[in-house]
Amino acid sequence: MAMTLKQESKPPDASDSSNGRHATVEAEPPPYLGRSVRIVGPHVNVDMNQSPHPKNQRGELGKALFNWYRNTISKDPLTRVSAPNHFADRRNFLTTVVNRPSKGKVNPQRVSVEDPAAMTRHIKAVAQYMGADVVGIAKAHPSFLYAGSRYVQDGTAEDAYQQEAPEKLVKKFPYIIQAATAWDYNKLQAHRHHIGDSAYHVSQMKGVLVLKALEGYIKEMGYTVLRGVVTPQAAGVAGGIGELGRNGLVINKNFGARVHMPDPILTDLPLVADEPVDNGVEDFCKICRKCANTCPTNSIPFGDKVVFNGIEKYKINWLTCYKLRPYVHEHWGSCLTCAAVCPFTKPNVWWHSLAVWALRTCPIPARPALVHALKWIDDRFWGVARTSRVRWLGYDSGVKPGDQACTVAGCTASHEGKVPSGDVVGNLGYYAPLKENTNRFVKRDV
Amino acid sequence: MALRLGPLKIPWPGKKSRDNDPYWDFFINTPAADLANTVGEMIRNAPQGNVFPTRAELHTPEITSSHVKGMAEYFGAELVGIVKLNSNDGQDGDAYPYAVICAVRADYDPKTSPGIGGQVPVQNGLFITFVLSAWLRELGFRATIARDLNADKLAAAAALGTLDGNGRLVTAKYGTQVHVADVILTDLPLAADG
Repeated sequence: MAMTLKQESKPPDASDSSNGRHATVEAEPPPYLGRSVRIVGPHVNVDMNQSPHPKNQRGELGKALFNWYRNTISKDPLTRVSAPNHFADRRNFLTTVVNRPSKGKVNPQRVSVEDPAAMTRHIKAVAQYMGADVVGIAKAHPSFLYAGSRYVQDGTAEDAYQQEAPEKLVKKFPYIIQAATAWDYNKLQAHRHHIGDSAYHVSQMKGVLVLKALEGYIKEMGYTVLRGVVTPQAAGVAGGIGELGRNGLVINKNFGARVHMPDPILTDLPLVADEPVDNGVEDFCKICRKCANTCPTNSIPFGDKVVFNGIEKYKINWLTCYKLRPYVHEHWGSCLTCAAVCPFTKPNVWWHSLAVWALRTCPIPARPALVHALKWIDDRFWGVARTSRVRWLGYDSGVKPGDQACTVAGCTASHEGKVPSGDVVGNLGYYAPLKENTNRFVKRDV
Repeated sequence: MALRLGPLKIPWPGKKSRDNDPYWDFFINTPAADLANTVGEMIRNAPQGNVFPTRAELHTPEITSSHVKGMAEYFGAELVGIVKLNSNDGQDGDAYPYAVICAVRADYDPKTSPGIGGQVPVQNGLFITFVLSAWLRELGFRATIARDLNADKLAAAAALGTLDGNGRLVTAKYGTQVHVADVILTDLPLAADG
């Protein structure tokens, strides 16, 4: 355990300063990313062509997943307008409109920036004015960048710098702006249902829109913007949006794991970078394991961090997580269990801020005791799994997904023989007993 | 600015941070040199999608209306109204009998603030109308965005507020600080307000 606390401030090689020619960016020390994740060894930049969605698009994950991704249309109208790949008509999905490479030109009349700190405050205020919930600025580092081509989920990006190496790019474009939007808390309570899907997908559309608008604004100020270059998680952790949790998600102090971080902006606008934060996620994840316990596919590790690709972090098994999707496609789009059950995922209100503040200000050696107390409170009052039933518009998470039943109070419409839902037990709502049914995914690592 | 006392921060009543922001005026008032840099332009030029071939099961028009309004509010609309169209509105009422009008808050009037910041209410309005009309089409009903209709007048007809002498909407909650987004026309059976 003590090992995780030190070692990140390895001094740069002495030869760097003595010999200017030798001071290549290769020898640049790994960036400090907070206590939750560390770069400990040689790191190969991620090629997004080898990431889950592109692999699946090429059919490398098998027929069932390929068909799920390419050939299914959701039964839910809202999912068809807000979720990637399950639309009936691509033109009804806003993200495909917004996430195209922008044709706008960089304004030749540059706004001069005398005080980067003022510009940083301005950019954050602008992003929040446009609808972002959290904004972080990270100092760019070559290891944050994708290897190979540009990658934007549900979109494309292109620029004149595609051939340049990451080390050169971060010299030219030293800052990363990450704007995050939070999912609606109440709707997230009905995850594994179309209600939870809407919380996830609508905030994603909004986040994509905000970042695109911000991109246009920075170009209007006369600075260049690159998209599809930076790993969002790295930018989020380095920019102080949150820390990397056991579930592989960036956990923010106000919103927990329910933040969306679409493709970040890499820019040469002069800014002041934020520092990584320590809100006690590292200490909490070491003890809590709620996400690992509730994950329907056991994709989240119970054990310690591992070093993967030179980065020490909790490593989820993305393949088993991914493989669940075609099985549940009839009922919902996104599982979200690990995000919904995370004790940090709470409404953004004073008692939540108080708890996180207590954890943040607590000396690190004393934190485990506090974490045990907070976890006990969380289990006692918020439950070890979801327990609430959500009704929203025509949706009701108390009804088994896919069942047609009218749950609107005072509805007088004739539903042509369909039974109104009278068989909902208690106020718990329907919650698919996935954990028992998914032994085929079981592969515990301890 | 908030007063800082160590880790405590007292929200002292004072100037808004944007008052001493040297770039805020540029953000609000300087028009975009290249319109292609604005998201509004991208959304406006996007083609309209198809109507889903199978119609969704609907409740009564009253309940359907409350669902449409709830959805618009979830997408960010502050005020939502529905009117039944007639020939006076410059549309023949047969093709699209109903209009859905969404209004968002506007700290700066988009008509007099041409900057990207001044146009943020328009951008929010376009987000709502695009996604909401797409959702109506996915419900299996026709829906289109009509940019040529007088949105403020229809908003007043939907009882979102009243018109002032300049034909602008004045609402009880936000005064004139609202922007009425483009009108959505649809043949989804709804119940009209006002």
